[in-house]
Amino acid sequence: MKIINSRVLLILLVAVLLILPGKLALAEEPITIGAPLSTAFLYGWDAERGITLAVEEINAAGGVKVAGTKRPFKVEVIDTRDLEPGVPVSEALLAVEKLILEKKADFIMGGPVRSEAGLAAMDLLSKYKKISILTTGVLTPAYHARVAENYDKYKYLFRITGEAKWIAIGEQIPALLKIGEKFGLNRLYIMIQDVAHARAFGNIFAKVMAQKGWTVIGEPEIYPTGSTDFSMGLLKARREKAQVIIICMDMPESSILLKQWYDMKVPALPFGSIIAAAEQPGFWKASEGKGEYALANVVNAGNAPSNASDWTMKFYDAYAKRWGVEPEGYGTSSSYMAVYVLKEAIEKAGTLDSDAVVTALEKTDMMGVYGRIKFDPKSHQVVPSLDPNEGAVGTIFQWQAGKRVVVFPDSIAMGEIKLPPWMK
Amino acid sequence: MDILIEILIYGSIHSITLALMALGFALVYGTSRVPNFAHGALYIICGFIAWSFLKKWGVNYYLSIVLSIMVIGLIGALIYQFILIRVRGMAISEIIASYAIGLAILEGLRWGGFKGMTYTLPTFIQGTIFIAGVPVDLHRIVVLICGAALVGFLWVFTHFTRIGLALRGMAQDERAALMLGIDSDRMAVVAMAFGSMLAGLAAALLLPLGNIVVETGYNVLILAIAVCIVGGLGSWMGAVLAALLIGFAQILTEVYLGTHFKSVIALLAIIVTLILRPSGLFGRQKELEERV
Amino acid sequence: MNANSEQRRRERLDRGIKVRSDGIYSLMSYRELCYLVLPRAVLITGMLILPLVVPTYWQKVVSYVCIYALLTLSFDFLAHFVGLVSLGGAFFVGTGGYFAAILNTVLGLPPLLSIPIATILGAFICTLLLLPCLPLRGVYFAIVTLMYPLLFTRVIEALNILGGTDGMVGVTNFTNHYFIIIMLLAFLFGIRRLVNQDLGLVLRAVKDNDQAVRASGMSITYYKTIAVFIGSVMGCLAGAYLAHVFEWAGLSSFALDFSILPIAATVIGGAGTLVGPVLGAFILVPLNEWLRDFGTLRIVIYALILLAFIVFRSEGIMVYGMRKYHQFEKWVKV
Repeated sequence: MKIINSRVLLILLVAVLLILPGKLALAEEPITIGAPLSTAFLYGWDAERGITLAVEEINAAGGVKVAGTKRPFKVEVIDTRDLEPGVPVSEALLAVEKLILEKKADFIMGGPVRSEAGLAAMDLLSKYKKISILTTGVLTPAYHARVAENYDKYKYLFRITGEAKWIAIGEQIPALLKIGEKFGLNRLYIMIQDVAHARAFGNIFAKVMAQKGWTVIGEPEIYPTGSTDFSMGLLKARREKAQVIIICMDMPESSILLKQWYDMKVPALPFGSIIAAAEQPGFWKASEGKGEYALANVVNAGNAPSNASDWTMKFYDAYAKRWGVEPEGYGTSSSYMAVYVLKEAIEKAGTLDSDAVVTALEKTDMMGVYGRIKFDPKSHQVVPSLDPNEGAVGTIFQWQAGKRVVVFPDSIAMGEIKLPPWMK
Repeated sequence: MDILIEILIYGSIHSITLALMALGFALVYGTSRVPNFAHGALYIICGFIAWSFLKKWGVNYYLSIVLSIMVIGLIGALIYQFILIRVRGMAISEIIASYAIGLAILEGLRWGGFKGMTYTLPTFIQGTIFIAGVPVDLHRIVVLICGAALVGFLWVFTHFTRIGLALRGMAQDERAALMLGIDSDRMAVVAMAFGSMLAGLAAALLLPLGNIVVETGYNVLILAIAVCIVGGLGSWMGAVLAALLIGFAQILTEVYLGTHFKSVIALLAIIVTLILRPSGLFGRQKELEERV
Repeated sequence: MNANSEQRRRERLDRGIKVRSDGIYSLMSYRELCYLVLPRAVLITGMLILPLVVPTYWQKVVSYVCIYALLTLSFDFLAHFVGLVSLGGAFFVGTGGYFAAILNTVLGLPPLLSIPIATILGAFICTLLLLPCLPLRGVYFAIVTLMYPLLFTRVIEALNILGGTDGMVGVTNFTNHYFIIIMLLAFLFGIRRLVNQDLGLVLRAVKDNDQAVRASGMSITYYKTIAVFIGSVMGCLAGAYLAHVFEWAGLSSFALDFSILPIAATVIGGAGTLVGPVLGAFILVPLNEWLRDFGTLRIVIYALILLAFIVFRSEGIMVYGMRKYHQFEKWVKV
């Protein structure tokens, strides 16, 4: 009995060994997407989930058609830790290099997430002529400005998510003006975190809104990363009768600010250009409803429920189903989209060769989750717009009765902006 | 005039916040000379334990806070009894060992899924009152009162109870304390447990103001060290005074100089204090041990 | 344990060569020569062939390791031969890195000029800024040096100078593994020689009993200044090279990791042996790289390994290894 058993086992083993290589030979070699992300942080794992979801969908549908064969995508996520304080950028750069050299990534997608790391990675990526699509984090305008400045060197770098300048001038300011007109508000107060893109935000707001006839109270208040006390700023807003507070902070402590705003009943609308704490769907519940009325910008449509295109809610629901949570940070829909854009470009180019795919990517013109996706041919920045039929649209939502209600741009709005009762 | 009242009220609140963060660290260093670099990790893990009791196992809020503080005291005692006691007396080893413990706890929490910004504890009391026209929410008032009460309690504790006196005895002269029959290792365990509970208490009071995130652990550690250095390492009363000093200095900087200089001021204060008076503004000066 | 069982103890015997006294060798045979030369030869040749045998990606890690090894060497030298426990590794790296980036991007100097100039200039500035802290002892000096990089980060951030939070990018690439390996070896053997020379003797005396040195009519501050300068030359060299390898200098050049890892490497390698800490860096940094696949868990593993070493094997690998190499062990009856 025993002998037979082991014989059967042996035969089975041989059979498996014979079949396995056959199966492997059948499946085409996968195309590797390397994703350098700070996975322990919101702006890291949202991208990771977005990319994974898209890859799973594409693979289930058969994969990518390259020169006649269907090849699947494969994701290699690597932890860069670049959002952690106390960790040098060189860690993240080594991670990117590891993806390229060791994991043999064909394309880089996602991060690095911190601006400093993203900018420093540009030289590295162009050295290896690796196509990189930035989908989360890095908002600094310096990124695509550098691409435009030295196109030949940096032409492999694309950014499919928004950048600080457009978010400020193209979305925040029109939204502000709309609120101002609707409710008769015109006193602005600015509270920002001490990082380059937030400073840029602050200065743009202060300058442009003053030109538009608004009263900007004092200089923008710049808080060092990790500040835990915002009382004096809020009291100043209250004393000087501010009506809208612009907040730009991607640190978790921003929830202290919002909670205190509610407790103090500061008669001003909190308007987050970037406000990390208020983006997650769990925020309202976590703050015991103190987040009500907070406005937040999640950069791309699809990160909050809206009808920017036919694809938006399809993505939203698919994401919620796959991960058991709605899209969270501002890098979710863009990371998802980047995979599809890349797929199309590869199919169009018919090869994985970087230069050919760059040309194909430059010709990208597809209707995506957050509107029409096109890249600027010079700076490789996704073309933004307020109309989803024209370009990539952003999303500004307001917390209303525990839900994230999209209120701007008008073309995709799901509801109206409301003022807290103590402002009337 | 308005602004003076604002500075007074929120300066006190900010100072008490800093004092709460620092007291645990100061107590442990003051009695057992162990620089407990796991302080921030203990602070944050207490928040997560309380959260788990409250949200996962549905325990009453106040009960879950008491339970989590007791758990954290136990953790502190265990850390000392099984790890730190082996490197006792070697300052650098103590720092590295406790920092490694803190790092393991913090990153372990992150790996265990405690990430994101939606972990919060509810405030004790809802509502806002106006003091001379300045709005203050009730939870901050609770923090203020509890903090002040805690400082008073600590004073009574270290001056009138057996354990407290023993702890102070050890801080003043370990050898003399040993001769008088105070078991220094056992007292160090007590001090560590007590310090951890203080960290836990601070967490329970302060975390409802914002959310529970791992990064706070690192920040709390740095703030605690800063306060303790300016106040004088080892003197917990000095830590309280230093907290007042730094707290008001930061609020004043914010009002008159610009918020972005807040951290610069705090760090400059530490460096200047260290260079001029290493044992802190309120510590006992032991010139020869500190500088040449 | 019953009373009949024989009790044994471990007896340690030195190997029978007359090389015991520090620095004086009296060799009797080729065997003894080999015995002495072997460990050094293994170290040097090992380092020199390392870039040839590892795959491309790990070559870059070799450079990274050498950067950390230089920092570790600087830490070990200052802490265990001068008595200045400096947690300012990040301060040296940041200063060196920013200087190299400025010299290279603003003044357009080639790497072969910018690295040495940044090293010397950076070391000079570091020494100057640390000058007021030199009288501090022990843990006080440690904390003040820990605060320096934090302060500089905040100052650069608050004043928005030197590229602010975006950092300085576009530094010319210069990755030459042999450059940094040879520099590391030169410093390693240079410092080993230095600590046994007259200057080194005074420095060690400063560590053991500074009052005695002072009583002999020597200025402690003068000698400490020299030591800090030597230490910061190593640190700034590491920083300047780092800036050129990764083509960047930014706020995170002042990152805490640059201060913490050298200490960890020293603990693992063996404090006060100079070679040990370098070996420690050669273990820890690749380990860190290798654990990368574990995501955030790797820091936990890393911290636990460090903890285990400091609690259970605080003498470090090198001290242990030296003991095994130089001594016989056998069990003898009591």
